[in-house]
Amino acid sequence: MLNQAFEALKKFDFGTPLSELQAIEDAVVAAHKDTAVRGDLEARLIAALATDISRDAKDYVCRKLALIGSGAAVPSLAALLSSESNAHLARHALERIPGPEADAALATAANSLRGKLKLGAIASMGARGGVAGVAALAPLLHDADVAVARAAALSLGMLGGSDAAAVLQSAIRSTNGAKAPLIDALLGCAESLLRANQTDAATAIYQSLAGDQQSRLIRLAATRGLLACAAKA
Amino acid sequence: MLRCSGWMASFLLLAAVSIFGNDQQGAAAKRPGEQLVPRIFELLGHPDREFRAAALETIRTAARGAAQTEAFAAQLPKLDDAGQAALIIALGDRGDAAARPAILERLGNSKDESVRSAALLALGELSDLADLPRLIRELTSNSAAEQQAARTALVRMRGESVAGKIAAESMNAASNVRGRLIDVLAARRATKESAAILAAAGDEDAQVRTSAMNALGQIGRPEQLPALLAGVLKAAKGGERDNAERNIAEVCKRIENEDQRGEALIQALGTIDPEKRDELMSLVGRVGGKRLIRFVADIATGTDAARRAFGIDALGKWPDASPADTLLEIAGKASDSAERRQAFQAFVKVSAIRDNRNDQQRLERMKQAMTEARSNEEKIAVIQRTRTAYDVESMRFVRPYLEQPEFRQMACETIVELAHHRQVREPHKTEFDAVLDKVIQLTKDDEHIERANRYKRGQTWERKK
Repeated sequence: MLNQAFEALKKFDFGTPLSELQAIEDAVVAAHKDTAVRGDLEARLIAALATDISRDAKDYVCRKLALIGSGAAVPSLAALLSSESNAHLARHALERIPGPEADAALATAANSLRGKLKLGAIASMGARGGVAGVAALAPLLHDADVAVARAAALSLGMLGGSDAAAVLQSAIRSTNGAKAPLIDALLGCAESLLRANQTDAATAIYQSLAGDQQSRLIRLAATRGLLACAAKA
Repeated sequence: MLRCSGWMASFLLLAAVSIFGNDQQGAAAKRPGEQLVPRIFELLGHPDREFRAAALETIRTAARGAAQTEAFAAQLPKLDDAGQAALIIALGDRGDAAARPAILERLGNSKDESVRSAALLALGELSDLADLPRLIRELTSNSAAEQQAARTALVRMRGESVAGKIAAESMNAASNVRGRLIDVLAARRATKESAAILAAAGDEDAQVRTSAMNALGQIGRPEQLPALLAGVLKAAKGGERDNAERNIAEVCKRIENEDQRGEALIQALGTIDPEKRDELMSLVGRVGGKRLIRFVADIATGTDAARRAFGIDALGKWPDASPADTLLEIAGKASDSAERRQAFQAFVKVSAIRDNRNDQQRLERMKQAMTEARSNEEKIAVIQRTRTAYDVESMRFVRPYLEQPEFRQMACETIVELAHHRQVREPHKTEFDAVLDKVIQLTKDDEHIERANRYKRGQTWERKK
């Protein structure tokens, strides 16, 4: 059955009934309890990505690797990050696959790619979470391309935590450009610290943004944060 | 989530100060928990309402515990009246009884209406039964705002025994309070307390009876119909009786099946003194339904003239056109001119009702009525009611009467009313413009001229209230 499904995957395209791939769906479910099944299925999916299957078939494979993929799948997925057609679903998978390989692949892509693909890789680093992305994102805050710097700031805000906050505060001090995305991201970091019960650190950030020199909305957000910190303490 | 390393925390604090100045440094050095109350107090006086709202939201939802509640409440004397009112409302929403002494103190000692109103509302949220007498007393406060706040508080008070206590208080309360307590019970949907409400329906005070019938209209149950009918009979004829009938009709509508509804009402009527039963025919008409038509038609065609009048009146109040043929038959056979007049008017009235028939069906009934009309008065009634059939054919039916002086003014009025409906007028604009020109020439009513001109210009007209 699984063999037949992988044969069907070779001809799979937009409009093909998903029922033809049902055996792969079943295997994905089984893989959660059986590491042997998981390894075999992952290998077959990786192999399929290397063949000349349709865009929709590759998207399908990426979705499945997002569920069962490991570090072994990262090189094949990373290869798709430069493809306008498949980068989105490849990032979908890389955002979810645990381990340093995916971190490294996204960081490499964030530095080497251009345009929307680069912005996508940066956004995925934020979506992926974890401390590993901070070091890779920090230099991008100073990128000449405003969109890249903004995306890096937003991703750091999504990562949250003290390290990301420190990087953002440093950038706020040094930048001559727009501070709004950096401050927005810094507020995100403060919220993450508050959620983690690091109220002193969160309070310090909110205090830094509550001054009269800030815009009304930033002061309001900081005030709400300060109240939340005070109430939680 | 990441943990904040020692150097990182120091960096954050230093960065905060170095980027945005050091005016907050002293506050940041304190323990955050110690800052909450003064920070909120400061924000409650902020000129920007969003900042004030942030503080109030914290009071409502955060920093739970009686100690914090008391700390918030202790700020009340330091605030101006508007600040006190806002804080009291927030304390009420917080729902912590620890705020109650401070709220009661403000209710007793503040001279500001908004503060006292807020205190009453907050007491409702805190739901302490000990406050019930005070809230009831405030229903007759000299201040309308405080009356409304007390009512809202009584409606919102939580607790299984609250409605029972209110019902018990209503039994012994003065008339002006009793009616308001009945209103509160209705708003609380206190169906378990219907005995108190039914008792109020028989009160000597008309306002109490009206409140009770309004309440029963909202929460009464069909099985209570016998008691409800007694309440209708207790209502004074005129506006109060009319109101009582409307409310009981609402209760009847809770029986979905039309025949069962009619049967329930007939059974309830059986419990009423036969001498008074005919007075309830008007109510029977309001409820309507085929089962009741037969019941009323027997009375309307019986041998007792007085009973026939009640029956015809009931059929004339039917909510749809189903008794139209019965009424026409009664009108046709009536030997007494007053009875003929009553039945024909009722026939025209129910035939014109905008029920689930279409406009063509309504117009056909009007044409039938015109054929059966024997006097100018009856024909004028038909011309008048034709306005409920929103169709160009209705205008064409009425148009010839513009040429007859005795019907002209009513025809003008009906044509203007029909032209009011854009969906009737616009597809036949040329025809309507011509007839409206004629109306402008013939009518004696300046308002009709104004309306006709507006409709010709494609404008609408707002009915004066």
